[in-house]
Amino acid sequence: MKTLSHLIMGAAALATYLPAHAAQGSCTEPIVFGTTISETGPFSTLADRWRKMTEVFAEEVNKSGGIAVKACNKKLPLKFVIYDDQSVPATAVALFEKMATVDKVDFFVGPDWSSLGGPVPPVADKHKIPMVMANVATPSVYDRGLKYIWGTPFPVVPNWSTRYFEMLTTVSPKPRTIFFITHDNPVMKGITATWSKKAEEQGLKVLGNETFSAELKDFTALIAKVRAAKADIIYISSFDNASVPLVQQMRQLKVRAMDVHHTMLTGSLSRQVGKDIEGMTGELSWYPGIKGAYSDLVETVIKRSDVSMFDYIWTLGRLTSYLAMIQGIEKAGAVDREKVKEALFKSTIKSPAGDVSFDERGFPNTGAFTVQMNGGKVNVVWPPEVATGKLVWPSPSWQ
Amino acid sequence: MEVLLQVLIGGILLGGLYALVAFGLSLIYGVVRILNFAHGTLLAVSGVLASLVFASWQLHPLLIAALLAPLMFACAYAYYHVLLRPLTRRSHFEATVGTVLVTVGTLMILSDLTAMAAGATQRNIPVRLEALEFGDIVVSTTQLLILLGIALLTAMMHVILKRTWFGRAVRAVTQEPVGAEICGVQSTRLKALTFAFGSATVAIAAVLYVLSFPVDPYMGFGLTVKAFTIIVVGGVGNLPGALLAGIFLGVAEGLTGLYWKPEWAPALSVILMLLILVAYPKGVGAKT
Repeated sequence: MKTLSHLIMGAAALATYLPAHAAQGSCTEPIVFGTTISETGPFSTLADRWRKMTEVFAEEVNKSGGIAVKACNKKLPLKFVIYDDQSVPATAVALFEKMATVDKVDFFVGPDWSSLGGPVPPVADKHKIPMVMANVATPSVYDRGLKYIWGTPFPVVPNWSTRYFEMLTTVSPKPRTIFFITHDNPVMKGITATWSKKAEEQGLKVLGNETFSAELKDFTALIAKVRAAKADIIYISSFDNASVPLVQQMRQLKVRAMDVHHTMLTGSLSRQVGKDIEGMTGELSWYPGIKGAYSDLVETVIKRSDVSMFDYIWTLGRLTSYLAMIQGIEKAGAVDREKVKEALFKSTIKSPAGDVSFDERGFPNTGAFTVQMNGGKVNVVWPPEVATGKLVWPSPSWQ
Repeated sequence: MEVLLQVLIGGILLGGLYALVAFGLSLIYGVVRILNFAHGTLLAVSGVLASLVFASWQLHPLLIAALLAPLMFACAYAYYHVLLRPLTRRSHFEATVGTVLVTVGTLMILSDLTAMAAGATQRNIPVRLEALEFGDIVVSTTQLLILLGIALLTAMMHVILKRTWFGRAVRAVTQEPVGAEICGVQSTRLKALTFAFGSATVAIAAVLYVLSFPVDPYMGFGLTVKAFTIIVVGGVGNLPGALLAGIFLGVAEGLTGLYWKPEWAPALSVILMLLILVAYPKGVGAKT
């Protein structure tokens, strides 16, 4: 009797540790994606609705039967294992280890943010589990020779303002000068370095580049320099929150320009600066109404999970990481990590914002659309074929 | 020249706000002998509260200041009695370490609680009045009114300290605590009142601050450091000295941004304080 009870207890203990799926290559079990989301901690304001969104995504995919697997000659349902990484790199590493060894997920999607994107990918490589990271935009993360890593951040620094500068070649009156204002942060400095060079190549004269720290509240000196320069374009390369007093004081001190461009024109910035945001242009990875591959699915998912693209600007990067993995599996035709790895290598996948091509490091070529705030609304104004509103040029509110 | 004038105007306004923050801290240190590390955080929290009140009920900023000041006075009075006063019965060393721990702990708790309740994003009171333009120089009408508010508040505090019993008692304790007690000043009550009064002035400063600059729950310590610098330069309990020192710091930050790099401006107060302490270990200003 004692032996029997020990056996039952042992079986119960074993059942607790049963993996979330049966076995790689199974045609009867759901395909399991393991991910972490920063539901708490400093990044939570950017991602706190993504658990619900991820669950809705799985529901929507499963409504059409799931993911097509050629080797099984049928579609398999999608399932997520989701943990909160608390925005902490060490927690994320531990959770991905757990998903690899305890939950035994099939594939990894996420995480987000470069601070997590540094330590987490080696876990995927160690366990040979393909991982499509979401919003990890730092190119050096992909330069470590890791074989199982891809990323879908929107946009990447080399393509951040491609469409904006393309738009500048078409507007009338044509801008001739530009002034850069840069938030003292590696990503933002990278954007300025890339786009100030591009501006010069395009014939725009760069009149200045001022850097500011996130702690700076009084921008009078910086703005006085900007006013004195009388640039046609003022290009603010900054995270949204850091530039709130800058934008407000630029309005107070009556800065004039053809256009004031902000690299992170978000709902948060809009709420904080109110009417001062009127007329500004910026970048947005995608917006409902822009038709593309999977755009109906993404629109349904964000609508059902109450996620606004303007508030949660990194949402497309997150959803595209799921879409990339699904397409990798479908291309591989099997729930097989090695085959999926081969399918994703230097591949091109579909997204609502257009095709995304990975280079040999797994780094994508994602870009962004140019938007403008008009009448309190955000409108996609470039490229014209997807525009949801007309560009107002030069911006009357900055005249 | 226009650029320089513009920066000087901005520096004077910013310095005036710094001075307002320093007034309270200076008074508290002069009378209660406590370095209140949470002083700047009181401004941050009051600023967040003011912006929330404005956003919810669209009250006039003056009315918000009139509501916040007595609220802060009452909270600070209770805080002194509950957490700081018991430390005065300890040895000098224990009291010193204890006050640092209590005020730093308060700073952290207040910041986190405010961030939890209202979010960690920046907030302000977006009142926009038509700016005045003199050629290439633009002077914000809002900022001019804030400057007027700072001048009025400074004058009012000067009158309180010079003309009222409370002010005379404060100055007496600042200059000679034992002598003041012998002359009948109830030091415990006076200390609590001074702590509360100094904190109430921060609430008013907070409303003026959020009219021009955004606040967030975690920005308080930086302001406290600036206030320390102003006290070191202007002198403990010396209001005109604090005003001049505040303006000096504000203008110096502006000029740093103009002639060097804006990202160095926030660090200037720390550098200045260290330099002054090396050159004048007892501070520059004198007690009133």
